[in-house]
Amino acid sequence: MTLQLGEKHFSSAQPEAAARRIVTFKVGDRTFGIDVGMVREIKGWQATTPLPHAAPHVRGVLNLRGVILAVYDLRTAIGLGATDATATHVIVVVDVEDKTAGLLVDSVSDIVDVPVTAVRPAPDLERDEHGLIEGLVLLDTDIVALLDLAAVIRDGGAEAQIKTSRAA
Amino acid sequence: MDPLAELKQTFFQECEELLGALEQKLQALDEGSVDSEDVNAAFRAIHSIKGGAGAFGCTELVGFAHVFEASLDHLRSGRVAIEDAPFTLFLRCADAVADLVSAARNDEPATERPDLLAALEQVGKEPQAPAAAPPPAPVAPAAEPVAANNDAPPGIAALGNLLAMVEAKTAAPAAADDGWDDEPAPMPAPAAGKPGRDVHLRIMPEQDLFRRVIEPRVVLGSLPSEDVVSIRCDLSQVPSLESLDVSDCWLRFDVALRTELSVEDLHGRFDFSLANEEFEINFPEEAVAEAPQAAEAPEAEPEVSSAVAADLSAILAKLGAAPEAANAPDIQPEPVPVVASAPVAAVETPAVARTAPRAPAAADASTRQRQAVSVRVDLDRIDKLMNLVGEIVITQSMLVECVRSLPYDVHAKTAEGMLTLSRQTRELQDHVMAVRAQPVKAVFQRMPRLVRELAQTLGKEVRLVLEGENTEVDKTIIEELADPLTHMIRNSMDHGLETPDERVAAGKPREGTIKLIAEHRAGRIVISVTDDGRGIGRDRLLAKARSRGLVGADERLAPEEIDQLIFAAGLSTAEVISDVSGRGVGMDVVRRNVESLGGRISVDSEPGRGCKFTLALPLTLAVLEGMVIRCGDDRYVIPIASVIETQHLASTPIERLPFGQEVLRWRGEVTPLYRLGDVMGSMGTTNENIVIIAETERGNNVGIAVDEIVGQQQVVVKSLEANYGAVNGASAATILGDGLVALILDIDSMLRLAASGSRPPQSDLKMAG
Repeated sequence: MTLQLGEKHFSSAQPEAAARRIVTFKVGDRTFGIDVGMVREIKGWQATTPLPHAAPHVRGVLNLRGVILAVYDLRTAIGLGATDATATHVIVVVDVEDKTAGLLVDSVSDIVDVPVTAVRPAPDLERDEHGLIEGLVLLDTDIVALLDLAAVIRDGGAEAQIKTSRAA
Repeated sequence: MDPLAELKQTFFQECEELLGALEQKLQALDEGSVDSEDVNAAFRAIHSIKGGAGAFGCTELVGFAHVFEASLDHLRSGRVAIEDAPFTLFLRCADAVADLVSAARNDEPATERPDLLAALEQVGKEPQAPAAAPPPAPVAPAAEPVAANNDAPPGIAALGNLLAMVEAKTAAPAAADDGWDDEPAPMPAPAAGKPGRDVHLRIMPEQDLFRRVIEPRVVLGSLPSEDVVSIRCDLSQVPSLESLDVSDCWLRFDVALRTELSVEDLHGRFDFSLANEEFEINFPEEAVAEAPQAAEAPEAEPEVSSAVAADLSAILAKLGAAPEAANAPDIQPEPVPVVASAPVAAVETPAVARTAPRAPAAADASTRQRQAVSVRVDLDRIDKLMNLVGEIVITQSMLVECVRSLPYDVHAKTAEGMLTLSRQTRELQDHVMAVRAQPVKAVFQRMPRLVRELAQTLGKEVRLVLEGENTEVDKTIIEELADPLTHMIRNSMDHGLETPDERVAAGKPREGTIKLIAEHRAGRIVISVTDDGRGIGRDRLLAKARSRGLVGADERLAPEEIDQLIFAAGLSTAEVISDVSGRGVGMDVVRRNVESLGGRISVDSEPGRGCKFTLALPLTLAVLEGMVIRCGDDRYVIPIASVIETQHLASTPIERLPFGQEVLRWRGEVTPLYRLGDVMGSMGTTNENIVIIAETERGNNVGIAVDEIVGQQQVVVKSLEANYGAVNGASAATILGDGLVALILDIDSMLRLAASGSRPPQSDLKMAG
C-alpha cells in the first residue's frame, strides 16, 4: 500500500533549514506526528505474531522483507485499548535509535513543514507519565502531538493516559 | 580504504595466524617435542612477522622479532640443543610479540621489553663468542623444508621478505646484520666437489607468485641445501619503482646444483609451489649426449603428445582459475622459453624432451596446489550470502505451499521440480554454513598457555586435558567463546584447584587436572570445564551472599541453589584477591555474555571432588532444523534436535502431582508435562492432541502438549533482539512459508517461564487480535 501524500507548507516564507518536516497520522480523532526522517516506509496492516507476556502495547512481530520487527499499537500506548486492526489500518515503519519498529495507527494524514519555532514544548501533562509527547504543533484545524518514539516503544503501556488536542 | 591500509590490515590478520602457529609450535616443543620441523615452523612464523613489520615500518616489532628470530635460529642451526632451549622464555616472548603486534595495529606506543630482550640475547651465548658473524647469504638460501608453505602463509609477509631479499642482494655482503638479512644461517657448503651431476635450474615464477602465497624462499628451500652450488637472483625483470606493483613477482633465479636427484625428483620438489612452465631444468654436460636420443625416439611420440594434451588442459585449467595469470607470458618484457607448453617446443631441446613426460604429474600437482590454496573472505560477505540463502529457503518453502494448492495434474508436474529445488536449496545452505564453520580448536589452543602461566603465578601444578577440539561451530560462535572459556578456566585454576601440598594432604595427586571438553549435544555445542579441585565452598559462598543481601537471612537454599550463587554479581569467595580472579566480576559476566548469545551456563559441584562448569551455546546463529507445531492460532518452531519423540496425548496417562504439576509416564520415567498454550499464552482455543517429548540441556526430558504438528523444515533463524529484545520462552524467530513470523521455542527458557508462573494479563490484547 503506497500513500501519495499532498504536501502542505506551513509557511513558504520560512527558510528550509529552520523547518521540521513532519508526517502526521491519526488514532481515533487525535493527530500525532513524527519527523519524516524517522519514517522508513508506510504499509498496510499485516497480521503479526504475538509475543508471550509482552507489554500490552506490543502487538507482535512481523516480517518486513526478511527482517523481524515488533509492531506497537499506538492506541494501546495512549491508553485507549487495543486497535481492532483491519486492512485499512496502517503500520508506520520507523527507525528509532538503532532499531526498526512498526507503529500501528488508524491512518496517515499528511506531510507538513513546520517552522521549528512553531513547535511548543509539551505542557506538563500529568497523565503523560511516560513522556510520550515531545511537543505540540498547532495547525489550522488540528493540534499535532509530536511523539517521542523511543518513549512510546520503551514505556508505552495501557496506563499511559494522555489527552492530545484538548490537553493544550 | 586506501590500498596501503588494506595491505596493512591483511598483514595484521596474517600476524594473528602466524602468532597462533608460533605459539602452537613453541608449546609442542615445550611439552617435549624434539621435532626440528617445529623449530623451523616457529622460526618461519616469527620471520614472516618480522618481514611484514619491516614493510610497514613497525620498528619496535621488527627489533624485537629480530632478536627473537636470532635466538630461535640457534636452535635451528643446532648451536643450542632443542632439549636445552628455554621455551618458557620463548613463549613469553611470543606473548610480547603479540602485544607489539596489537600495539602496532592500534597505533599505540609499544611497551619495551628489555628484560626479555636481554634474556633472549643470552640464548646460545657460549663462553667463546663467535669470532665473526657468519658469512651473509647472497640470497635467501635453501634450508627451508618442503612443508614450509603450510605453516607460514606469506602473502604480505612475503613482501617483506622480497624486499629483504632484494636488499640483501644489492647490499650484500655488507647487509649482514642490519635486521634485514634474510637468513643468518651460514650458506650451505658449496657442493661442487660431491658426487652427482651438474644441473642448472632456471626458475621464472609467474607474476602472481606472491598472490598464490608462495615465497621464493619456499621454492628455493625445497631443494636439498647440500646440493646447491650457487643461487643467483636475476633482478633484470624488475621494473622501475614507479611502475612496480609490489604484489607482482619479477624475480628470476638461476640455481646451479650438483645432485643425484633425478629429473622426476626435482619436479617433485616443486610440485606444490611452481607450475610446470615456471621452471626449466638443464643439464649442461649431458645436453649433447642425450639430444639424439630424444630426437630419435618415435615410440616416445604418443607419450609426448599426451603430455602436451595434459599440459594444455593444465593451462586451460589455469586460464579458468586465474585469468590474470594467463596474460603473464605476454607482458613479460623478455621472452623466456616456456617449457613444454607447445608442441614445437617439445622437440627443441633435450631438456624439454626430458621434462615433457612429467607433465601429467605436474597437472595433477597444480590441482593439488589449488586445493591447498585458501581464500580470505570478509565475514560480512559470507553473512550477506547467508542472508540471501535464508531468503531463498523462505521463498522455496512458500513455493512448495503454493504448489500444493494447485490442481493435482499441475501439481504432479511441478512436484518433482520442487523436490529438486528444495534439495538444492538445502545443499546450498549447508555449503554456505560449512564455509562459516570452524573447529573450536581455534579457541582451545589458546588455553594451554593460559593454564601454564596461571599455574606459575598461582604456584599450582595443573594438567590440562583437551577433548573434542575438532568439534565444529559457526565462526560467530567461535569468536564469542574465548572470553567465557578464559574466565571459566581462570576460575577453576584459582578457586577450584588446591595447591600441591593441600592436594597431597587431601590424598589427591599433586597435579590437578582440568578437562576442557567440547561436544555436540541437542543441537548445541556444549563445552565443559571440569576440575578435580575442592569444589565450591558452599558455606562461604552462602555467608557472603547473605552479607551482601543477595539471600535473606532465614532463606533456606538447596546445595545446588547455593552453587548457582557463583553466577551472582559481585560475589567472590577467593580469600586473597589476586590478579587472576577474585574481583567478583568473573562468573556473572560470563553468564551475561553467554545468555546474550542464546546460551546457558551451569555449574555442578561436589565438595572435595571438583567442579564442572557447562556452557551450552547454539551451533550457529543462522539456521536450524525445526518442527513446526500449532497451538491455538499460533505456530511455533521446536528445534528438531531437542525433540526425542512425539505421541498422541490421548494414549498417554497423565497424572497430577499434589501441587498441580502435571506429569506423564514416559519410558518408565515420571516426566513433567507442560501445555504450550498456557506457557506461551497462545491465542485462540487450544485442543491439545499431541505431546512432544523434548530434551533439556541438562539431559532431562519434558513433555510439551501442543495441538498439531504442522511439519518439519529447515528454518532461518532471525534475531528478535535486533529490533525488539529477548523473548521469554523463545530463542529467536523465523519466517514461515506464508511470510508470517513464528517463534523458535527454547525448551529451557520455556520451562523457566513456566516455573515463574506469573503471566501478566494479556487478555484484552488477545480479544482484540
